[in-house]
Amino acid sequence: MELNPGLNSSISPPRPGVNLIHIRSLGNDDTLHFLLYPQKTPASSFLSPYQLSSFQWEPLDNSSLDPRGPTVRLCGGDGSPAFSSGALCLQLSAFGSGGREAGWPGLLHSANSSQVRVWLQGVLPRGVHSRFLLELHGLGRPFSLGRVEVQQFIDDEYTPSIFTVTQWLAAPTNLSSPVLGFVQWKPVAYRQPHPIFTDATPCHHSSPLAVRGASASGLVLAFYGAEAEASGLNISFGLAGEPSYNTTKYLSWSVLAGIGDPPMDSFSPLVLSIMAVGLGTPLLILLLGGLFVCVRRHRLAEWQAYRPIN
Amino acid sequence: MADIEERQSLLGNVNGESDSKEPDKPRSAISDPTRLLHRIVVLIFMCFLGFGSYFCYDNPAALQTDIIQDMNLNTSQFMQLYAWYSWPNVILCFLGGFLLDRVFGIRLGTIIFSLFVCVGQVIFAAGALLNHFWLMEAGRFVFGIGGESLSVAQNTYAVNWFKGKELNLVFGLQLSMARLGSTVNMNIMGWVYNRVADLISYKGPTTLGTALMIASVTCLFSLACALVLGYLDRRAEKILKKEQGKTGEVIKLTDVKDFPLSLWLIFIICVGYYVAIFPFIGLGQVFFIEKFNFSTAEARAINSVVYIISAPASPILGFLVDKTGRNVIWVMCAVVTTLVAHMMLAFTFWNPWIAMSLLGVSYSLLACALWPMVAFVVPDHQLGTAYGFMQSIQNLGLALISMAAGAILDNRGYLFLEVFFCACICISLIAVVVLYLVDFLQAGEMNLSAAARAKLHEQTRLQEAASLQKEAPSDSEMLQNEDRLTGLKPRSAFGLRNRYLSRLGAQLPDHCSSHLSSLGHRSLLK
Repeated sequence: MELNPGLNSSISPPRPGVNLIHIRSLGNDDTLHFLLYPQKTPASSFLSPYQLSSFQWEPLDNSSLDPRGPTVRLCGGDGSPAFSSGALCLQLSAFGSGGREAGWPGLLHSANSSQVRVWLQGVLPRGVHSRFLLELHGLGRPFSLGRVEVQQFIDDEYTPSIFTVTQWLAAPTNLSSPVLGFVQWKPVAYRQPHPIFTDATPCHHSSPLAVRGASASGLVLAFYGAEAEASGLNISFGLAGEPSYNTTKYLSWSVLAGIGDPPMDSFSPLVLSIMAVGLGTPLLILLLGGLFVCVRRHRLAEWQAYRPIN
Repeated sequence: MADIEERQSLLGNVNGESDSKEPDKPRSAISDPTRLLHRIVVLIFMCFLGFGSYFCYDNPAALQTDIIQDMNLNTSQFMQLYAWYSWPNVILCFLGGFLLDRVFGIRLGTIIFSLFVCVGQVIFAAGALLNHFWLMEAGRFVFGIGGESLSVAQNTYAVNWFKGKELNLVFGLQLSMARLGSTVNMNIMGWVYNRVADLISYKGPTTLGTALMIASVTCLFSLACALVLGYLDRRAEKILKKEQGKTGEVIKLTDVKDFPLSLWLIFIICVGYYVAIFPFIGLGQVFFIEKFNFSTAEARAINSVVYIISAPASPILGFLVDKTGRNVIWVMCAVVTTLVAHMMLAFTFWNPWIAMSLLGVSYSLLACALWPMVAFVVPDHQLGTAYGFMQSIQNLGLALISMAAGAILDNRGYLFLEVFFCACICISLIAVVVLYLVDFLQAGEMNLSAAARAKLHEQTRLQEAASLQKEAPSDSEMLQNEDRLTGLKPRSAFGLRNRYLSRLGAQLPDHCSSHLSSLGHRSLLK
């Protein structure tokens, strides 16, 4: 993981405002490069949106990097009174191998994916029952809107009470062709940094639509050139009747992005072993016992046939 | 035998006595304790006696999301409300009969227990109003003291006012009323809460407390029924010159050492099974909302299906089990069906109405088949202790597993919780299978068909009557009789001693109980 690669010489220090994270993931056949650059993304809501393009981000230095993960954290605000004691933060984690993050929502990741966690902390809400909405953009070439799949899954061990997984797949409309990339998330956000069961709040998504005239950041233009096209969808958090953001002033959501097919969850070994033992033992006893009963009955019949005559 | 005589003397057979003492006052059918109409009036009050207790027992399940949100709890704290109900009953199961017979008497005892139920529910509601969770837990504790003992009292009233075939009908009606109370609670309390919330335009502890206070009106109603029943019973006692009814139950804790292996296996089946039913219903509402995307009203309705089904199913299945016998096979069917239902809920997204209906039927079947089995393995004078022990262990299991279920859900989610319940049922299943083998090896009577069992009892009775009249038969004759009737049945020293004493015509131990039919049916209410 590198911060501002190529610009870290002591001779010419990087200009303020230039913040680029580059993570390189070496595989057997290919190398994946993850680039993080504060983007300008318009957001829309009923109140005037927070324009992330006008956000001032904290400068990235070694304190926001964690080479163990590797993870990098980015926090910022738009300077208004609402952000005086709080911030919007992003944390990018890259992975060298498959695994699962420790806290909730416990998304399963592979070496081909990285996870972004977005959270609002301490930001003063503008309404009595504030709900937030995030607009997510996907960029690509060749371009297609992709499709959003909601898959049901019976195991909620790693994300208690959530039984679905939502995936936005970048793939041609032909269903049989391979998936090029994905964005995967569980439809839940948490209202505490270390959430308990009841801190979960649902989130909903809209269908992906083409976004025209999106103000793209310099990084996107540099990589994709002028042909880059964007599609976007909205993720909204919270539900009428649930406790709102105002109660805890904290809202966190995680999303996994990567190349190829999205990872699929499975049962944990503990669950499988409990079921195996739980079902297997009575079956075993039944079989052995049934055998024993049959043998015994047979012997009893034999014995009764040979009763001594007194 | 003594049972029937005693009951007859309580009610109908008093023509000679009362006429000679008092002038024959003509009474209307409705106020004459010997007439059916009056006893029907008493029956109505008897049925509503337990309504309040069953209505309020499942208040937490009906208002789960509201309690958790308003009092700011996690799930394991929420389940404490059920655990605290069970804790006092671990001890009280042994004391209920004693308190009702020796200390308070049935009338005063019923009123006192009703009062505990009422006061407990009021404390529970007050805890919500004042936003103190510890007070709510205390309220559930007090409520628990009254709740289970009240059903003992209800049963005793039934045994004392009705006899013979009527008794089965009365027990069935009491059971239906209990289930009705639970069902109404599940479906109505949410609506009550929402109305209160609309009225005061606020959703918080005050709303919760008000809704629970409204629920406590049912307990007041039950208390009124207890007072009326006490008055009617005392009046009948004066008119008919009978004594106050008794449970007739004697608990002798030293009998525990004589419990056979079959009985301990029955205990394991009981605990393993019920801990997968009641805590599941307690947490069911949110499960159906989250996993199957039910609306709140639908989730409450499906949560009450188990109770709705068991109201008509219990009498029918009880009749079926009584007619066919083979209790162990029925218990095995019930346990396997419940396991299938839980696995369906855990591992599939199939329509949960199917699984819950299966659960309701199997729950009723188990209750009808399991509790009477105790009477087949334990001599009559130990039945009180055996049932008391069974209920005590059941309550202990429920208290512990309620807390464990809450903790599991908080940390690992619903699938793990369902797998945990499946594991409990598997333990039950293992116990049933072992019980079948033990019963087969010991040539016991638990798995006999009803006809074979009746024949066995008849032959044993005739044999004992015959041997008491003449001298003791020779050893080889005795052995032959035994072999023919019971197969190779090993007897414990205790069993041998009893047989010897009865042959001599000696008295059986003091704590011989006569009111035994109520014991088997009391547990049907659970």
